[in-house]
Amino acid sequence: MSDLVLDVVQQALNGFLFGSSYALIGIGFTMIFGVMEKLNLAFGVTALGGAYAALLVFRLTHGPFLLVFLASVVAAGLIGLVVEVTCFRWMPRDYPLAALMATVGMLFFVEEIIVHATNGMPLAFPAPLGQLMFDVGPWLFRGDLGFMFLVSLGVMGGLWLLVYRTRLGLATRAVSQQPVAAQLCGIGLRRVNAAVFVLTGMVGGVAGALIGSAVGNLSPLLALPLTVKGLVTAVLGGLGSIPGAIVAGLLLGVVEYQALYFFGIGYRDMVTYLLLFAFLVFRPGGLFGSRAR
Amino acid sequence: MKRSTRVALSTVLIAPLVAGLTWSQAAAQDRVIKIAGVGAMSGVVRTFGVNAKATLDMATDEINAVGGIKLKDGSRAKIVTTYVDERCNAEEGISVIRKLASEDWLVSIGPTCSNVAEPLFGILQRKAGDAGDSGLQFPIFTDTAIKPGLAKISEWSFRNVPHEPTMYNHLFKWLKEKNPDAKTVMIGVESDFAHSNANAGIMEAAAKAAGFEVLGQEKWLLNDTEFSTQVGKFRRAKPDIIGIAAHPFTTCGAVREMKRQGVKPKVLVGLTSSATLETMVGCGPEAEGMIIPTGFAPVTPEAKRVAKTVAEKYKGNVDLHSAAVYENIQVLKMVVETSGVEGKPTTVASDRRKIRDGLAQVKEFQGLLGKVQRTEDRESTKPYVFAQARNSDWAVLYDPR
Repeated sequence: MSDLVLDVVQQALNGFLFGSSYALIGIGFTMIFGVMEKLNLAFGVTALGGAYAALLVFRLTHGPFLLVFLASVVAAGLIGLVVEVTCFRWMPRDYPLAALMATVGMLFFVEEIIVHATNGMPLAFPAPLGQLMFDVGPWLFRGDLGFMFLVSLGVMGGLWLLVYRTRLGLATRAVSQQPVAAQLCGIGLRRVNAAVFVLTGMVGGVAGALIGSAVGNLSPLLALPLTVKGLVTAVLGGLGSIPGAIVAGLLLGVVEYQALYFFGIGYRDMVTYLLLFAFLVFRPGGLFGSRAR
Repeated sequence: MKRSTRVALSTVLIAPLVAGLTWSQAAAQDRVIKIAGVGAMSGVVRTFGVNAKATLDMATDEINAVGGIKLKDGSRAKIVTTYVDERCNAEEGISVIRKLASEDWLVSIGPTCSNVAEPLFGILQRKAGDAGDSGLQFPIFTDTAIKPGLAKISEWSFRNVPHEPTMYNHLFKWLKEKNPDAKTVMIGVESDFAHSNANAGIMEAAAKAAGFEVLGQEKWLLNDTEFSTQVGKFRRAKPDIIGIAAHPFTTCGAVREMKRQGVKPKVLVGLTSSATLETMVGCGPEAEGMIIPTGFAPVTPEAKRVAKTVAEKYKGNVDLHSAAVYENIQVLKMVVETSGVEGKPTTVASDRRKIRDGLAQVKEFQGLLGKVQRTEDRESTKPYVFAQARNSDWAVLYDPR
């Protein structure tokens, strides 16, 4: 097999696995949009905040990774709730830009809190699977990214069960489709919104812990890329579609890795944004969303 | 004369005398030398500003504790400082320097980032005393921004940063002597950061000059988190030496990926700015063995004392960048003491000019690692050592002083 073929397949494999981190972040963006029809640009930093809180727990307890993971999930869920209250509940409803701009403010606010707490220094994050590599024929397969892929599938399955098999899911779908009718049926809009933010925050916590573990470091530098890539993933997948976010995240990973291999780092992000542009022009509803939302 | 009248008359006569004396003493006390630190106190390079401020505070507290700076007329002036955030942003840096120059600050130490220093020096008067140039007449004595050759932009800009081409030329020559079997070099670079980019060019030139074959550069971005593609190319090329011209966050990611893919060069070389605690905290054992030329290591009694004091009392770290703040303050003290600076509110412009001229005349000073030579283009030639990451700390591998 030629080097080119080997490399292209290796890039596709790496991109596919790394794309699961985009998928996890994309799920958070898409779920909130699905329920509230509003963008939460603080979602990436919610995930990062959860991971930093987990790191604090790790440093205090030196506990196992499971504890770190759970701490990230809980902390990010709480941050999600704070974001819902401060950036959505307190904002005037007849001025949609207020909530959007509030989440932008929250993004930089939380990022700066992290910077001040850590002096911007990268901090090592526990990575139990960090060095796990498998030889799959002539290719290398990263154990931690494989684990992240499996977890993102698990999260998607869990969310599907929650949305389609629980009362909360029913209420969420009702609020998403007919908020006024849902309220008339006795569904508490605030309670559902808060639950969705906590839930997506927890998904963010899963993403934060796994991304921190895969990267091996936490840095405030992660805040903006997580936000941008999460948003792009959600748009490509179709805002509001959880399966769309998963497929788009994996697709984005593959496209980025091939672009990096063939065109170099200077063009990688250009290819990403060209793809986004193409979707917005030719399929504005994304992969799984409705065409005209 | 009644006793009360005598007291009243004495008061009337003595009061102006006392008041005059008090005013005179107060005036002497009021003479201050105002030095503004400018660096990144927010954003992801905040650690540079935090360490620079800690060292600035330590150096000025020590001088003030023994009475301040002795001016040429024999009076003494305390050093007053501030530390302003430039956020590693060019517009912010220019804005804060314009503000400081509009006030009564005499000189600035900073900025942190080369992408701030370069445009910032551009707004200074290019040639001192040129009446046709309305650029700012405000001396800046840089401690951190390290991209080579920046001080020549203006005669008001001075730098005390390590000269990277000299250090890397020496390092690669030394590596060739120590590893005669090593033939090839590959470089990884954080291509969207001015200093890293410049440093990659320096490493490449130094490697070629030392007789190595440079196989190429692999690029990534400052906030990238995954390096399998670039490291995969290292793996295939099998270079004897890998140079990483990147800051700690991506350096750590890259060396971690190298370990994962089993890439084991004979020598791993890092960026000057990564010879810090930050790299140890972020990389852990993956940084083990990395060699970096650095302008600071606690290898002299004075360097040890400064590092210890800053760490214990000021909660900062002295590294190759913040060490320069300590040196700059000592140089400024010497310049102020010898150049006739008056430190009065009415002499701000002339004092700035005297400091500029005084700095331009400094040919040599005692740095923390030894004698620092000043060049014609207002840069420093500093002593350096080759540091190596060992047991989660930086140890001196070779001391060419």
